[in-house]
Amino acid sequence: MRDTLSLLFYLMRLRVRTRLEFRAALLITWLAQAFGYAGIFASIWLILTRFGTIGGWTWPQMAFLLGFHTLGYALGACFTLVQLRRMEDIVLGGEFDTLLVRPLNPWAYLVFSGFNIEYGGHIALGAGLVAWAWPQLSIAWTTDTCLLLAGGLVSAALITASMITIIAACALVLGRARYLFGIYFDFWELSRYPASIFAAPFQVALLSIIPLGYMAYVPVAVLLGRPVPYLGAFAEIAALSAGPLSAVAAFFFWRFCLKRYQGGGG
Amino acid sequence: MTAIIRAEHVAKIFRQQVRRSGMLGPLKDFVMPVTRPVNAVDGISFDIEPGEAVGYLGPNGAGKSTMIKMLTGILAPSAGTVSVLGRNPQAQRVLNARQIGVVFGQRTQLWWELPLIESFELHRRMYRVPASVYQRNRADLVEMMELSAFIERPVRHLSLGQRMRAEIAMALMHDPKILFLDEPTIGLDVVAKDVVRKFLSRINRERGTTIILTTHDLQDIEEICPRLIMVDDGKLLFDGTIAALRVTFGARRRLTLEFAQDPGHVELDRAEPAGGEGVQRLFLLPDDQRPLLHILSALKAGADLRDVRLHEPGIEEIIRTHYQSKVSA
Repeated sequence: MRDTLSLLFYLMRLRVRTRLEFRAALLITWLAQAFGYAGIFASIWLILTRFGTIGGWTWPQMAFLLGFHTLGYALGACFTLVQLRRMEDIVLGGEFDTLLVRPLNPWAYLVFSGFNIEYGGHIALGAGLVAWAWPQLSIAWTTDTCLLLAGGLVSAALITASMITIIAACALVLGRARYLFGIYFDFWELSRYPASIFAAPFQVALLSIIPLGYMAYVPVAVLLGRPVPYLGAFAEIAALSAGPLSAVAAFFFWRFCLKRYQGGGG
Repeated sequence: MTAIIRAEHVAKIFRQQVRRSGMLGPLKDFVMPVTRPVNAVDGISFDIEPGEAVGYLGPNGAGKSTMIKMLTGILAPSAGTVSVLGRNPQAQRVLNARQIGVVFGQRTQLWWELPLIESFELHRRMYRVPASVYQRNRADLVEMMELSAFIERPVRHLSLGQRMRAEIAMALMHDPKILFLDEPTIGLDVVAKDVVRKFLSRINRERGTTIILTTHDLQDIEEICPRLIMVDDGKLLFDGTIAALRVTFGARRRLTLEFAQDPGHVELDRAEPAGGEGVQRLFLLPDDQRPLLHILSALKAGADLRDVRLHEPGIEEIIRTHYQSKVSA
């Protein structure tokens, strides 16, 4: 176990080194991504300055939600998105076969060898928004709120990694999965907003089969003391357990697909 | 001796979608796809002893790569069993991976952006190679494959030949008992191919590493593998030595005789005339191991023989002839 962990950490270090070889490109990526997100958040801020609230959520509350969402997503995506989004190329090009002849779990190899520090821009922006909004919202610094903040972020990261893993695993069986990422990101964009503003079917979807509502809306609503539809008093425990449950589902789904893998190219 | 690799009645069946023609074909394919079974590997059996070097040969789509994938644990057979080092390679994939080396000619396992030595170091950690063994193997392999000039260079700056040498060296860094090579000389120039072939031959001879090689380049097999397994349409066509291949496929030596002047009718015992006129005559000789001198002794006493050339059919020629005869049939 210790050897495996040390190997995975070494893979991450190698990956970071390769990224640091191109420092200018890395800085530009950080800035571009942070500005890209900041542009979207600015448009939401403009809407709020005109209308006051979105579904009863004020700008500081929305800023907290957006920051939490960006931070949780970045923590999960930095381990998974870039490499697993390429999964159909990895499968069809035969690269996945080369992973199966190594004495290591292929998912672990992909995830840790693809650790992406280019999410630095997301993390800075997300953490900055949370840090700015927290005092504005007068959320008390208690053990409960701190645990919910940290646990909620870990849960959000796990949801992100799990959803990306599940979609990528489809490529093992279907050969193609890129279009599923398009659908995932459509729902992911919705999950930036309070789920309560959507029609009931969307709310149910975001709180069940596509659990992106737990990425930010549920934990932030609990921290803000706002009611959460359908979950009520279970919202806090649901926010914390959604990530681990998604991870378990992703683990079994990946194994299911891996068992049915029939090779790619050649 | 116990077989290090055993395949018993191995079959692999894939489902392939049948494409329908006509204007509505694609729509029908989408709504009600129809699939048919394709036997990529069809009831193949063989044993490989420790220390053997075996060429696995066949045309495109013959099932070579599928068999290699089953032996390396990438795929499971649909029927039959494969055993590598006494294990089921897919069920015990990680254990199997620790004791085999795999080189894919068209897919790199090196880290593109980093110096070559970093890929070796990663390999050491991944295969848990003790430091002393790693140092010794690395020194040996770097020297044998002449890697020292570029070991500190990022892999993306290496030529294809340099990369392939590095891939093979890396695959041997953990002292694997078996080395699987899937088209290792593809795309290499003549010099690089020669280096790779000589190296593999040496590794097989000196270290006793079992080698299984698939290739399109039959010279690879002639230089590295005394034993050849030939497959076609998923079925085993031939398993034996190259000499036995010549006998099995009826390949005959070609004898060219050149005389000082037209000798008239020339007859050689058990040799089939195969053309030529005037001073030059061609014959096909049966593979009966008779010495050339014995054959030539049948010539008339006064025949003014100037030159004799004996052409041994290469493995490529034998197999090409076989496949061409199959296509024309």
